[in-house]
Amino acid sequence: MASGLYSQHLNNRKLYYIRQVILVAFLVLFAVVSLFPIVYMIAWSFGPAIESASTSYSIFPKVWTLDSYKAFIDYNQYSLRWLLNSLVVAVFTVIGNVIFAGLAGYAFAKINFRGRNVLFFMVLVAMMIPYQVTQVPLYILIVKQFKMTNTFAALILPSICTSYNIFLSKQFFSSIPTALIESAKIEGCGQFKTYWLIVLPLSKTILAVMAINTFLSSWNNFFWPFLVTSVDKMFTIQVGLKTFKFANGTLLSPMMAGACISAIPMFILFFSLQKYFLEGVTVGAVKG
Amino acid sequence: MKKEGKKPKIKQKFNKGENISGWLFIAVAMFIFAIFTLYPVISAVITSFQKYKPFGSEWVAGRNYLDAVTSSLFWKSIKNTILYTAAVVPLSLLLSFAISVMILPFRKKTQSVFKALYYLPGIASGVASAVVWLWLYDASPSGIFNRILGVFGMSSQNWLSSSKTAMLSLILMALLSSHGSNIIIYMAALHGIDNTYFEAAEMDGATFMQKIFYIVFPLCKPTTLFLLVTGIIGSFQVFMNAYMMTGGGPDNNTTMVGLLIFNNAFTYGKYGLACAQAIMLAIVIAGLTMLQFKVMGDDVEY
Amino acid sequence: MKLRKVIAAALAGLMVLSMAGCGDSSDKPDTITIMVPPVTGTYVEDLNGWIEEYKVDHPNIDVQVIATSWDEHTSKLTTMALAGEAPDIAEVSYGAVGTYVEMGVGIDIKKYLSKDRIADYDQNALDYMTLEDTLYGFPLYITIQALGGNREMLEAAGADVQKIQTQGWTYDEFLEVIKNGTKDGRWGFVFANSGATTADFVSIFGVAAGISSNFTPDLKYVYTSENMLSLLQAVETMTTSGYMPDYSVEAGQRLVMLETGETMLTGKAMPLFESNVKKNIAGKADGSAVEGTIDMEYVFLPVPTMANATESVYGVVDGMIALKNNNTTEAHLKNVCEFLDFLCSGERAAAVDNAVYLSAVCESGRKAQESFTLDQSDLNAAAVERAVSKVIAPPAGITAEMNANAKTMMDETIVPKFQALLAGEATAQEVYDAICTAAKNLFGEENCASGWVK
Repeated sequence: MASGLYSQHLNNRKLYYIRQVILVAFLVLFAVVSLFPIVYMIAWSFGPAIESASTSYSIFPKVWTLDSYKAFIDYNQYSLRWLLNSLVVAVFTVIGNVIFAGLAGYAFAKINFRGRNVLFFMVLVAMMIPYQVTQVPLYILIVKQFKMTNTFAALILPSICTSYNIFLSKQFFSSIPTALIESAKIEGCGQFKTYWLIVLPLSKTILAVMAINTFLSSWNNFFWPFLVTSVDKMFTIQVGLKTFKFANGTLLSPMMAGACISAIPMFILFFSLQKYFLEGVTVGAVKG
Repeated sequence: MKKEGKKPKIKQKFNKGENISGWLFIAVAMFIFAIFTLYPVISAVITSFQKYKPFGSEWVAGRNYLDAVTSSLFWKSIKNTILYTAAVVPLSLLLSFAISVMILPFRKKTQSVFKALYYLPGIASGVASAVVWLWLYDASPSGIFNRILGVFGMSSQNWLSSSKTAMLSLILMALLSSHGSNIIIYMAALHGIDNTYFEAAEMDGATFMQKIFYIVFPLCKPTTLFLLVTGIIGSFQVFMNAYMMTGGGPDNNTTMVGLLIFNNAFTYGKYGLACAQAIMLAIVIAGLTMLQFKVMGDDVEY
Repeated sequence: MKLRKVIAAALAGLMVLSMAGCGDSSDKPDTITIMVPPVTGTYVEDLNGWIEEYKVDHPNIDVQVIATSWDEHTSKLTTMALAGEAPDIAEVSYGAVGTYVEMGVGIDIKKYLSKDRIADYDQNALDYMTLEDTLYGFPLYITIQALGGNREMLEAAGADVQKIQTQGWTYDEFLEVIKNGTKDGRWGFVFANSGATTADFVSIFGVAAGISSNFTPDLKYVYTSENMLSLLQAVETMTTSGYMPDYSVEAGQRLVMLETGETMLTGKAMPLFESNVKKNIAGKADGSAVEGTIDMEYVFLPVPTMANATESVYGVVDGMIALKNNNTTEAHLKNVCEFLDFLCSGERAAAVDNAVYLSAVCESGRKAQESFTLDQSDLNAAAVERAVSKVIAPPAGITAEMNANAKTMMDETIVPKFQALLAGEATAQEVYDAICTAAKNLFGEENCASGWVK
């Protein structure tokens, strides 16, 4: 663990407490500032379910009700199914990325094979082309060639192993000492066994980080699901939420309620992966 | 204490076993990459030389590129994008790094709470948070930010509609809503630093700042490089904020290249031009990325 | 090509999921796909009802509806069209017709329909859906966009509301009224102008200076004329006068400001607002009204006209167009066009037009509307009817390319420069010069109007 960065001030507890208080004060202040929009969002999700726009911009609605949550659920017979669809898509996307991008990242970082640098360079360059122009050929591929409109396959496949995650895992695997891997090999482990038995246990943190970030971006992805779904049964939550906006106004509170509901799975995932974030790559322990 | 750099450099020699296992490890990833990333990219490159029509495109050679470079708006948008990136990416990294370091000395429970708090803004869906930010930036005296200014006796600002503050407003919004995942990535890297480094430094009498500069910085380099590269790529391609918040105005001061490309591709149907602009943008990003790899030196051994 | 086949084959094996639905194709009904945003609150449900109705007489037709949202309708439609997979029918605003024609996916619908069916529609509305003498779709309605106000306040400020509604007003009269109407805590006039809504300000107020289309009758680009300069100067006067907010106003705020008495006049306003205002006042009883709602009578007003300009009203036509895709055959197109006609006429048109407080733009639609009475004051009804008659359709002969260029000019030059004018960062003259330079580059000097256009 990296706790050694800070002096424990063992000889001066007072100094230790003063330092902690200052840090907390700053962290809380910054948290308050960056959470402001979220507080707003949550507060207004309990507002009345009307096309409201108030000139007074109060932070909290006058009347608190659950009407908007009810309105969100009643809005479309598939409202809850949208959540389920998003969940299915996100879960498969996460699994795909953790497995495939993890393997590829490891190979790019630690296996010395022919063509490695060229391929990795290609992965990087592909990230640089703005997605706006790759959506059309991708759409042609998925819809015209593969006829996948309104399928989970269309929603999942294009992001099942992203360049971003290959790059992320490659950067992290790079920091695992090669000596560790070499010694595993000397003891007779094959590449895969080394990866499975030695590297993976050290990499829970990064895989958890990858999982949550992938889940988040899949969950919040709007444009692609919007392109490849045409029936409301197959909408993801983000596509569904957009239908709350009409030409002359927005059903504000139900939209915020939808946004809050849609954030709940993220929350659950975040907290259930928490312990991995804190474990860290405890290389030292293994070595000892 | 083991230092990575001391090992002799491995020569570019390949053995058969490494080749085979390497290719096996990347096989699925590369297969997916080829179909869903590489193919669309190549297709976009080809289209950038065409006047694209779904039924019968015409080959126009460099015409789209010429149109792009002769448009003053294109250059203005590049300028805006660079300005935005230069402000957002380093500040956001610095902020995330500082916060991660500040979270570090606390107990695990406290760390979790802070990380969750900082991650939250990223969870909110883009649509809903854009609506909220439009409220915050409302230009009337009763807008939230203007009321805050009022408390300090300052006059109301025309946040998104004045060329003085529009870009600043977008930058502020990005800084306050995009650090969550940076922080958890940095935290992961910080937790990976072995305590023996600090113990050794402590014995040598190193100060806190010395530890940061000589231990934390170098060991977080792969992470920083990753966040920097992906941050710049993301920032150069950004368009949603301008699209939803300002429409590019006033006087095109917040028009990003991403917005131009989006409009050309999806609003005007000038898909060939959009591809050409996208390729040029990619070249700029590639140049910058190469520079970063050079400067930051991806010197963690392979 | 070969790579693609290999990939496709490999994936087909992998993805059993997607392989469902490959039935045999003999004697299949002809499927028409239609893509629509929520044109009215209940449009998609209504549409499904009409489809069932249509199928009774046309058992060989099947219709698949793709419902989209307003914000992203265009980007999805463009993506599909670029992929050669456009829906057969899609809702578009007239300004976007050129984009699809330019892409080569427009369809000359006159070829597939009888003359008397086309005669059902009003010519001026059809003109909006026409480019270079080719008709690409049918109109659903002409939305008239102008001003709306609080009657009591307007009259207190010295305006003769009835006269304005029946005869129009001059720009000088307008300025006088908003000056008198500006009191403590209340603006004389508020126009929503933040972000992309600035374009509305340009188009809607453009008619004050006699600009009713992007092009003059002799097909010159109009925003380089002196009319534009006058318009910009007028806007400069308005914003610096203090009768209008000196900050930008969100689209959603303007109606609220009218409802709470924070402004006397607002724009852009539609006839439909009468219903919104009434509903809001009624909502005071159960607490669903906007905080601070006042009792008021909503009046729909035309935009004032400057000296030397011909009075007109800004109209926008939304309609449905037929599009070409990979499965297009002549027989299919005939079915598509007939269904398109069905949707845009009769009770279908009436239902949409009733919902937006407008009169239908086809004979059969108006007939179907007769049995329906809008909750609209007589004066407003008269004002709306007069306004509709003042809408001037774009001149004939505009090409798809001109149309697309005009759109680019609007988004990339006029709107951003206009925003700078509203923010007080550029003068009218500077904005005008910038527009002229950009327009001359794009259209060529000889294609840009100069002097005062009548």
